[in-house]
Amino acid sequence: MKRAPRIGYVLHQAFLLVRSSPWLTAVSALTIALALTLVGLFAMVLVNASHLMHSLGESLTIPVYLHEAATTPDVKAVEAQIRQRKGVKSVKFLTPQQDRERNKQAMTPELLEGLDEAAIPGQPVLEVELEADLASRGDVEELAKWAASLKSVKSVDEVPTGAEKLRLLFALVEIARTVGLVLSIVLLASAMFFVFSTIRLGVFARRDEIEILSLVGATPSFIRLPFLVEGALQGLAGAIVAMLLLGLLHLELRGLVRDVHLLNLSWSLMPPGMIAWLVLGGPTVGLTASALSVGRYLKV
Amino acid sequence: MWYLRGVIQFYHVQKRYPNGTDALTDVTLRVREGEFVFLTGSSGAGKSTLLRLLLVMERASDGQILIGGRNIHVLRDSSVPYLRRNIGVVFQDFRLIPRRTVFENIAISLEILGIKGSEIERRVNQMLEATRLLNRAQAYPGDLSGGEQQRVAIARALVNEPAILLADEPTGNLDPELSHEIIELLLSINRKGTTVVVATHDTALVEHYAMRTLVLAKGQLVEDRPKSARADKFLAGERPSQMERASQSDRQTVPMPLDRQTGPLTSLIVPGTAPTVAHNATTTTGPIPSGAGILPLVGSPFSSSPVRMTAPVPVLEDLPEEGDLSAPSDGTDSGGES
Repeated sequence: MKRAPRIGYVLHQAFLLVRSSPWLTAVSALTIALALTLVGLFAMVLVNASHLMHSLGESLTIPVYLHEAATTPDVKAVEAQIRQRKGVKSVKFLTPQQDRERNKQAMTPELLEGLDEAAIPGQPVLEVELEADLASRGDVEELAKWAASLKSVKSVDEVPTGAEKLRLLFALVEIARTVGLVLSIVLLASAMFFVFSTIRLGVFARRDEIEILSLVGATPSFIRLPFLVEGALQGLAGAIVAMLLLGLLHLELRGLVRDVHLLNLSWSLMPPGMIAWLVLGGPTVGLTASALSVGRYLKV
Repeated sequence: MWYLRGVIQFYHVQKRYPNGTDALTDVTLRVREGEFVFLTGSSGAGKSTLLRLLLVMERASDGQILIGGRNIHVLRDSSVPYLRRNIGVVFQDFRLIPRRTVFENIAISLEILGIKGSEIERRVNQMLEATRLLNRAQAYPGDLSGGEQQRVAIARALVNEPAILLADEPTGNLDPELSHEIIELLLSINRKGTTVVVATHDTALVEHYAMRTLVLAKGQLVEDRPKSARADKFLAGERPSQMERASQSDRQTVPMPLDRQTGPLTSLIVPGTAPTVAHNATTTTGPIPSGAGILPLVGSPFSSSPVRMTAPVPVLEDLPEEGDLSAPSDGTDSGGES
């Protein structure tokens, strides 16, 4: 029957390994911290961008402007055409007067002063409320296509969807995602390289010790375990530092947004899921790097 | 459950290195369970190679090696650690881990077995007491004298009560006085039932104790000298050399056995014979170095009974059955199971 080594022994030996090369360990842990912080930042940007899009999609209302001369049967026909689309929540008809009233409310009093009532635009319009389903650029294209097809229906004047702006937003998010992914991979790889090198140096510095352990009957896994735990500890230390950095950034950014833009956004830069991800991710990065190093250099 | 018995058998063992050098040629020998054997020969005779083969640090090129009836020639690499747990080993350069305390160095042999902390503490303390190192438990190897370091190495080799103890030039770095101390410690261990093989090129030491001696020359076993009647006394726990040494009261002035001394008196000594007290009392001078002296064998775990005090550490649990061998074996002491 094989018996596992005592946890106390393994941890003690791992701490001794850390203590014997504190600077190298600190550099490794900080590299992991930096990598995780940047990965976390990118993740936050993406998470919040997708939140923003979701909220955009939630209140997606598209006006379908009709010609002044549209008759009631025309309006009914257009409405029937609109309702054929999936995801239409409601269709509300506004008379030119109602539309003018609404536009008037959107204007500031200064702008309205001395303005002829007839100068305020007013046009019969069908306000179409759509279900939130804008998850990608494809959805935006589909919406634009649908709007274009509506334009060919009799009596329809204009269907402004704002698709151009949405297209830009999606493109920006996609660029951020790609850049973030590439940078994250590069940073994590360099962090792993640092841990890999630290463990390798530790293994070289303890070649005699490794040989002695082997001669007294230690199994390869018994000899390797403290080195693996050392890597995981470096990762854990990096994760803790990354959490502190992200926490500080979170507070700073929130303060900045509130003060400069007088907005009180209900965004969260540090959702619980991300904290769990960091706590698991750091040690996993450290463990993987040390396992690679030990596998390559610790021959028993 | 597997235990390894302290029987060593070599059948026509050859070790040839890739460069064509023969380190061992057609070596056939047998060491019985509980035996004390000196392995001697000049440098390069093959002593260390023989020990390295026993520890499976190297594999034989030809022939069969059995330990406790198990053929280590066919032992899988993954089973080697379990074999080594049955073989304590002591080196000339002590091979202690400098970053670990005396206590931790000894505890390694138990840590690898996954034994719980309190039990490790109890057994290591017992070893520390037996090797008179209790007050050095928290010291680091670098702070110890050569004799103390070798005692730590012996304690580490024995704390898990192996069936066999191999010592490769254990006295090579020690002065004659400490050399005798170490050999006497090994003898006391042997009296507990452990098979002890001591490789040494110190012929004076070999002749003094007159144990069974295997002589290697150029990789071949050239002589198998049986133990003498004097050796029986050593093995029985008596000290034929006691008369060479001073009584307990004036040990400080007479620590050195005669056959290790230089000067005109040594020419009077016939190897293997007991010199007289008069020589010692008059020729040895100066205080003994600290840490030197004769180990207090009475009351130590090695001296209380001729059998093991506690059951041997169960090992080789994972050793495969593949060790059985077609080579001859008389069956009396080659069984691997108990």
